[in-house]
Amino acid sequence: MRRLLDFLNRPAARGNIFPRWANAAPARILICLVIAGALVTAAVNEYATNKYLNVGYTPDQPVAFDHSFHAGVLGIDCRYCHTNVEKSPHSNVPATSTCWNCHSIVKKDAPTTAAIRESMASGAPIQWVKVHKVPDYVYFPHSVHVSRGISCVECHGRVDQMEVVGQQKPLNMSFCLDCHRNPELAIRPVDKVTDLGWQAASPAAQVAQGTKFVHDWKVAPPQSCSGCHR
Amino acid sequence: MSKRVFVHPEPKAGEVTGPGYWRSLEERNKSPEFRTRAEREFLDGASELSAVDRRSFLALMGASFGLAGLGLSGCREPRNHTLPYAKTPEMTIPGVATYFATSFPGEYANQPILVETQQRRPTKVEGNPSHPANGTASSKLAQASILGLYDPDRATTSVGADGTPISSAAARDALAAFAREAGDGAGLAFLARPSTSEARWQLVQRIRARFPRAIWAEHTPVDQAAGDRALHEAVRVLPDYAAAKRILSLDADFLGSGDAQVEATRAYASARRADTPEQAKAMVRLYAVESLFTLTGAAADHRLPLGTSQIAAFAAAVAAEVSRLTGGAAVAAPKVDVDPKWVAECAADLVAHRGQSLIVAGAHLPAAVHQLVAFANRQLGADGKTVRYVVDDKRGDVSTLAQLVAAKPAKLVILGGNPAFDAPADSGFLALAQKAAIVRLGLYGPDADETSRLTRDRKGLFVAESHYLESWSDGRALDGTYVPVQPMIAPLYDTLSDLEVLAVLAGAPDTDALHWVKESFERQARLTTDSAGFEAWLAEGVLRGSRRNPFEWAARGKETPRVTVPELSRRNLEVRLVPSAGATDGSTANNAWLLESPDPMSKVCWENVILVSPALAKSLEIEPEPMVINKLGALNRNINQVVDGKLRARVARVTVGGRTVEGPVFIMPGLAKWTLGLQLGFGRRVVGRAGARVAERLNESRIVGVGFDAYPLASVAAPAFSAGASLELTGETVVIANTQDHWSMEGRDIVREGSVEDFSNNPAFAARLGLDGHVPAVYGADEKLSPAAKAITTPRGNSAYEHPDHVVPPNVAVWRDAGDKSPLPQQWGMSIDLNTCTGCNACVTACQAENNIPVVGRDQVLKGRDMRWIRLDRYFFDGREQAGMEIPENPQVTFLGVACQHCETAPCESVCPANATVHDEQGLNTMAYNRCIGTRYCANNCPYKVRRFNFLDYNEREVGRYYRGPLGEKGMPETLKMQKNPDVSVRMRGVMEKCTYCVQRIQEAKVQAKARAGASPDTAVRDGAIQVACQQACPAGAIEFGDIADASTRVAKAKASPRTYGALTYLNTRPRTTYQAKLRNPNLRMPGAARTPLSRVEMAGREGSHGSGHAAPAGEHGAHPSGH
Repeated sequence: MRRLLDFLNRPAARGNIFPRWANAAPARILICLVIAGALVTAAVNEYATNKYLNVGYTPDQPVAFDHSFHAGVLGIDCRYCHTNVEKSPHSNVPATSTCWNCHSIVKKDAPTTAAIRESMASGAPIQWVKVHKVPDYVYFPHSVHVSRGISCVECHGRVDQMEVVGQQKPLNMSFCLDCHRNPELAIRPVDKVTDLGWQAASPAAQVAQGTKFVHDWKVAPPQSCSGCHR
Repeated sequence: MSKRVFVHPEPKAGEVTGPGYWRSLEERNKSPEFRTRAEREFLDGASELSAVDRRSFLALMGASFGLAGLGLSGCREPRNHTLPYAKTPEMTIPGVATYFATSFPGEYANQPILVETQQRRPTKVEGNPSHPANGTASSKLAQASILGLYDPDRATTSVGADGTPISSAAARDALAAFAREAGDGAGLAFLARPSTSEARWQLVQRIRARFPRAIWAEHTPVDQAAGDRALHEAVRVLPDYAAAKRILSLDADFLGSGDAQVEATRAYASARRADTPEQAKAMVRLYAVESLFTLTGAAADHRLPLGTSQIAAFAAAVAAEVSRLTGGAAVAAPKVDVDPKWVAECAADLVAHRGQSLIVAGAHLPAAVHQLVAFANRQLGADGKTVRYVVDDKRGDVSTLAQLVAAKPAKLVILGGNPAFDAPADSGFLALAQKAAIVRLGLYGPDADETSRLTRDRKGLFVAESHYLESWSDGRALDGTYVPVQPMIAPLYDTLSDLEVLAVLAGAPDTDALHWVKESFERQARLTTDSAGFEAWLAEGVLRGSRRNPFEWAARGKETPRVTVPELSRRNLEVRLVPSAGATDGSTANNAWLLESPDPMSKVCWENVILVSPALAKSLEIEPEPMVINKLGALNRNINQVVDGKLRARVARVTVGGRTVEGPVFIMPGLAKWTLGLQLGFGRRVVGRAGARVAERLNESRIVGVGFDAYPLASVAAPAFSAGASLELTGETVVIANTQDHWSMEGRDIVREGSVEDFSNNPAFAARLGLDGHVPAVYGADEKLSPAAKAITTPRGNSAYEHPDHVVPPNVAVWRDAGDKSPLPQQWGMSIDLNTCTGCNACVTACQAENNIPVVGRDQVLKGRDMRWIRLDRYFFDGREQAGMEIPENPQVTFLGVACQHCETAPCESVCPANATVHDEQGLNTMAYNRCIGTRYCANNCPYKVRRFNFLDYNEREVGRYYRGPLGEKGMPETLKMQKNPDVSVRMRGVMEKCTYCVQRIQEAKVQAKARAGASPDTAVRDGAIQVACQQACPAGAIEFGDIADASTRVAKAKASPRTYGALTYLNTRPRTTYQAKLRNPNLRMPGAARTPLSRVEMAGREGSHGSGHAAPAGEHGAHPSGH
């Protein structure tokens, strides 16, 4: 008991119950918090984005339709199947009857085309999985983009090289705005819109040509809310 | 361990004491599914955890949390599917609307319309411009009919005699069996609503051939053809309002109700155009004599409140005066309590415009009135000029309801209508139906319709009816143009149309409705020179050259009928029954859009009231207490007792000939002294969800319709009005939902009007009225510009975008290098002409349909949370507001539609902390819903009060389920979702919304213009390519919309009118929507005529208190009011 009292009454402890290192503690805690905060911010900024979360989304489809074969090797134009892309806000997923145009003759008994035959027989739609999706409050019109020289490849990537279609571009608002602010970087001759492999001779040539198109066609993409949100 | 199953006992009859709340239709209908669910306590699978003990539960939970963390599986977006067609239907492009021509069937005339379909799903009704008299306009009822198609309370299946649901095939068999047993038709009667369908008429002939002894009767509670029949069985009167310079309306609400409303309003508005003072001087002058305050009375330059039963005497007096002035035969006129000068001057004005004047009388008036009016019109030289008589020969040997009842049929086929609800009490129909075997075709089944309920009770056959948007038929527009009714969608449910039922009953070889439509088309086409064929008729929606033939009068006698009128007094009141704005005659009593759309004059919605005049209120000793101080500091009588912002009305009992009705009293200025106005259609005894409410003032524990039923006061002899009524207060008060009860414009001059004389003296009188004259907006050097020019050239404050003639375009390099300016974005703006607006509410309903605006229900309206973007304000003026203490007997009325004004310097934008509402480069005040966090600062700062807030989940929960908490039932019936416009976001709870100028239509037009331009610079949207929903629907053509930066557009021309002014412009808001002041065309010889509109008299006093001379332009003094 006495020893305990002595310990408590030792000179260093009198009037100062915190140890010496505690003097620096607030500053250290603050620094740690700032670092942790910065890390969290950086992590959210990096990972909680479309670019990280959505790019690369490549779901399995009910029919193993190979775009790289049909659009790439066979060279079928995008608009053979996505027929309404020039007329409608939606680029339609083809009806089963479109598949049937060829597959009633070609590979008509193959197991890979079973779902097509089933759908044709029953009239029930094939349940394609949506890959490229923007939120419900975004109204993206395909027709005006493809009619004014914006290629499919700008948002969908080289679909003609994909065995299974996946999302390649983030499709978030800044992705849209980048192009709406500088359309000359993406705009191309209208007849090259579905030629996914087409590229201007050089980046400088693209800018020169794009600038001409933007001027001659009076391209003024909307940059305000009403352009996409209704 | 197993859980004891507890079976809830069924409540006994006496145990149910609370209100009949129900959460789902199943519960309400006590379907077997609901009963099993209720007995189970939990749904199938919901109690599975009881088989797992606590330990394994925790282990499972721990593991699943761990797994969730590892795979971030909770962060993945849900898997979405795209479902293409298996075989694409013809002419279908997903995402592009297709329009089909059809017509909205009416009892008197069909309205030619186009229906917008989205992948074959009808979403919106528009007028059919192929029909010139109709244009793009459509009525409120036609607009709302789309909701009727998707009404979740519609009958989904037919019901057999044993009360079980049967398929339409079984219903056909049952109908065929019924027809076989009917023999030659002895004791068989058909009861239908009148129709303009030619195909139905062909089938009626076949019915007659098969059942020669059967009775074919037609009944409607509001007979629009009664006036024509008073002249001749086969005549139809077609007034031409466009050709008239002077119109006298005798209790005829041609602008406000009836199947002819759209065409009449269009014609009247075309005669009311006043772009220049010269045009204004030549514009039509309207006299109205009426008992209630209708839209026609509101539009009138001179209005005389007079009891409906007195109008016969008035008509005789006018006919006598006209005859005297034109040298015709003497007409006997009984005494009537009207200033003789009114009659004399009105008649003199009509005679002074011989050949250009017109008298019209309400269809409900006695035959003598119509004969007197026809006589007077002939004297005025109106025949063939402002009024035409045409043949309507389909009325021949159609029996009336009374004739049907007198024949005492044992078998009754009831096609459409709802006679169990709307047949006059003394007709004996109910007693007859209680004994008869009934076959019933109806849109609503036994749980939502009185007649269908009666059918089930009588063990009759109920056949579910197809909506007109699901069925084939035909009909005639007002002028006789032959129009199709074609299906937009295959029947949603297993239903039959009236043509199909008639064809089966008639034993026709082909029971397909299309066959009969084709057949009658062939007949009609042979009568015209049109050779385009059936397909072209369907595509166009009208048969060119089809008209009604002129009626040849055999001999028109010179003598006129003698009329007698009862004397009205406090002891001998008069009851006038009119279809209500919401429920009409009861057929739309389950249409939430219409129910929430307020009565244009009383502004009461979701129910009906007994309208009484201020004089009657005074004699009833309705003491207006407490007094309230209005915003001008004057004492106002709190006449309709507004307490806590809610209107408390006294309940009164009306008795006519021993029949009694009880309802809330609403004091309405401008009513004839001793007239009680009662609106029909409410108080349904059996009705669907939308029109139902829990009994409040009726001591019944079952669900009844909103409002009270006024039909008990109707009789066979007097279906629309009768004298001999008495009224007594019961001492109770009830709260009624009233959306507006403004008596003045609270000192602000947002409604402006002048007389034709004002306009000639100073064409720009409106722009400098009131505060704008004293505190003009700060425009600097642009002061002299027109309001339209100001809207595009003056700088904007608080906008998030560059000025349209900016030199810093978005992609600078492109334009600078070319030494060019960036293309000027088109600048959208609107102009509303108050001179032609009649306040019909078509715009409000069209906006609701186009923009996915939810219905909120009566409770929310009482809290002031109605969501409709357009507020159609009704302002009364009597010029004596300063006196304040007297209730105005005959005020003037002006309507003002207010939606977002799209101010250049929008006060809402500067206060939004989330930048959710900003300007765009086209001058739109945009609203980004996904950014809105619901602070409501914008609504607070909006001087026009046009922003609407989603306080609750109006789009996600049904009316009445808003307060069920986060776990309460969500979701709307699937069919209601089908109506939604896919191009407009459906807003969620906590989000602000407001008029967007139909931004989806603007964007659609821009996208189309640009897509069409392709690799060319021709990207401008042409004038007229964008029609906003309100503009498209407006029958008066009062709304113009377009690019205000281009002086050649219609809207720019409208804005250049000298009558243009902006509302509250002294706040420097610079609205994009401007108004054109209303003009009144008074006849200064008339008694009580005011040289200046009464509203200006009110303003005059106020201007005086401000002193004069500062900032008021010289022109205004020329327009100073001369008093009253």
